[in-house]
Amino acid sequence: MKSRSGRLFRIFGHAVRALADQKGKTILMMLGTAVGIMLLTGVVGLSRGVEKRIEEVMAFMGPRSGMVFAGGGRLQSAGARAGSGSTLKLQDVETLRNKLSDRAVFSATLRREGVQVKYEGQAWETAVFAVDPDFPIVSDWAIAAGEPLDYHDEKSLARSCLIGATVARNLMIEDDPLGKKILINRIPFTVKGVLEAKGTNTMGMDMDDCVWTPLSTGMRRIFHATSIRMVRFKVREGYSIPEVREEVERILKEAHKIKEGEEIDFTIRTPDFIAKRIMEMTRTARLVGYSLAIVALLVGGIVLMNILLLSVSERVPEIGLKRAVGATANDIFLEFIMESVSVSVLGMLLGIILGFIPLLLLPRLMPMLPMAFSFKSLTYGFIFSAAVGIFFGVQPAKRASRLTPIEALR
Amino acid sequence: MIELRGVKKTYYTEGKETPVLFGIDFKIEEGDYTAIMAPSGTGKSTLLNILGTLDKPTEGKYLFRNRDLTELSDDELSRMRNKSIGFVFQLFNLLGRVSVLENVLLPLLYAETYPKEARERALRLLDMVGLGDRVHFKPNALSGGQQQRVAIARALINEPDLLLADEPTGNLDSMSSEEILQIFDEIHRKGRTIVVVTHERDVALRADKIITMKDGRVFSEERTR
Repeated sequence: MKSRSGRLFRIFGHAVRALADQKGKTILMMLGTAVGIMLLTGVVGLSRGVEKRIEEVMAFMGPRSGMVFAGGGRLQSAGARAGSGSTLKLQDVETLRNKLSDRAVFSATLRREGVQVKYEGQAWETAVFAVDPDFPIVSDWAIAAGEPLDYHDEKSLARSCLIGATVARNLMIEDDPLGKKILINRIPFTVKGVLEAKGTNTMGMDMDDCVWTPLSTGMRRIFHATSIRMVRFKVREGYSIPEVREEVERILKEAHKIKEGEEIDFTIRTPDFIAKRIMEMTRTARLVGYSLAIVALLVGGIVLMNILLLSVSERVPEIGLKRAVGATANDIFLEFIMESVSVSVLGMLLGIILGFIPLLLLPRLMPMLPMAFSFKSLTYGFIFSAAVGIFFGVQPAKRASRLTPIEALR
Repeated sequence: MIELRGVKKTYYTEGKETPVLFGIDFKIEEGDYTAIMAPSGTGKSTLLNILGTLDKPTEGKYLFRNRDLTELSDDELSRMRNKSIGFVFQLFNLLGRVSVLENVLLPLLYAETYPKEARERALRLLDMVGLGDRVHFKPNALSGGQQQRVAIARALINEPDLLLADEPTGNLDSMSSEEILQIFDEIHRKGRTIVVVTHERDVALRADKIITMKDGRVFSEERTR
């Protein structure tokens, strides 16, 4: 058996050698596969980019969470526009809680960047969140030390706060933060607890660079607001997110007295909805990409087949000679199939390299298209190019192997 | 070593029968140098193809070392050619895109086992035919006589039982022809069985035995010495 495989290797080596000896033909035969695999690499990259963007959205929002923004209209993605007015009231959150607390947890949030915090000589600019007591549940955020903000803090407009690890470090109170009095916008707050460190999120933001105050205190003293911009919610296990989303929409429409056909003054975003939007936005591009790749592979395969057929008729004397010195019909078949598969796998390698062109270029031309390199394109590329090589190589290889020695030597 | 018994060959094309060989009988002994003399159009190529197992007789037996080759499959015949027969063609039939050395090694591509000393053997053979300094040349850089010498080295690489030559000097000038025939003499001296098919009397005279064909039959058999 060892000798058999040795023989296969020798024939394979000879097939590759034949390709090297006929560079012009080889390049022509490679071209179709190369273009096909280039397109395939691009479109697989696009699909991977879409997946990645959806994963980011999921990670950012939490897979079971949703957001309600003040203001209607078409938001491209979460937080792209914070709504035009203050159409969300605290009363809306109460209404949602009263009707849906069995299915979801709601939390009103206000957020502002670039607020100055101070402790003794140390100053730092950070993001301040005014949050109600359910916010840790909704955002999956635990307390690392101290106590959470509770309903008592909320009711009494307590000047207590929770700080993130980055803030603690920059105010140099990370060794013993609890009970320290810090200034937020020059108003004194007592540090009641430290938030669990979350590190950097997928967008590169430092999640630990924040301070939380009770919602009531924050609205009154920092945001000077009477309405809210956003309500976050988290659907409880066992309930469907799209259903809860529909309920939220129905209840808010009723509360805002919006009649059938009128434009709504709030926007609900859930990760599955955003994922759907991203998929829809890229569907055409993916469809066109896959179709072009398949057409290119087919056309490339047909070109490969025809050049190989030409090569077979040019090499009839060579085939005759090989049959005379002991090649079996099967050896001749294998030799040409190996040429065909090798050439299309070579085309694949070229295609993968060329595939970096759409991967690098498209995001520049169309920034909304998410692109990412995926090793899947290697797997797919190999499978598709080998399939093209075998499928379109069979006919030329058969023709070559069916020549009898005397026909070929004539 | 070789025996043909009542070998007939008829070609069938478009329902038409064309008989070419009408019953050939002869024997070739181990170590013989035999010439088959036949004018063109007398079934010479057909006989050669049958001797070389490139074609099968319609009727009759072809015994090679007491084994009837007419019963073998196409694959078995390929293996037979690979192991036991070396071909020298009138038009040399070298592979133009590879070197002289690779041409000589070509039959080993299809051998069951690749001998370790293949390269040395090829170089030795090229030395023997006087081309030791041309091993990396491409065939088209050589003269006709040199190309035929490469073909002889190729025919011997598998150490075949039978060396079969079809008009080996048919495309060569007289000087090159003489060189080729001298190489055949030397191969014969070393004990290999040789069959040369030719229509030239002076080429045939180099052999020990001449079989003359006429109209698809053996006309005469004569010893030259």
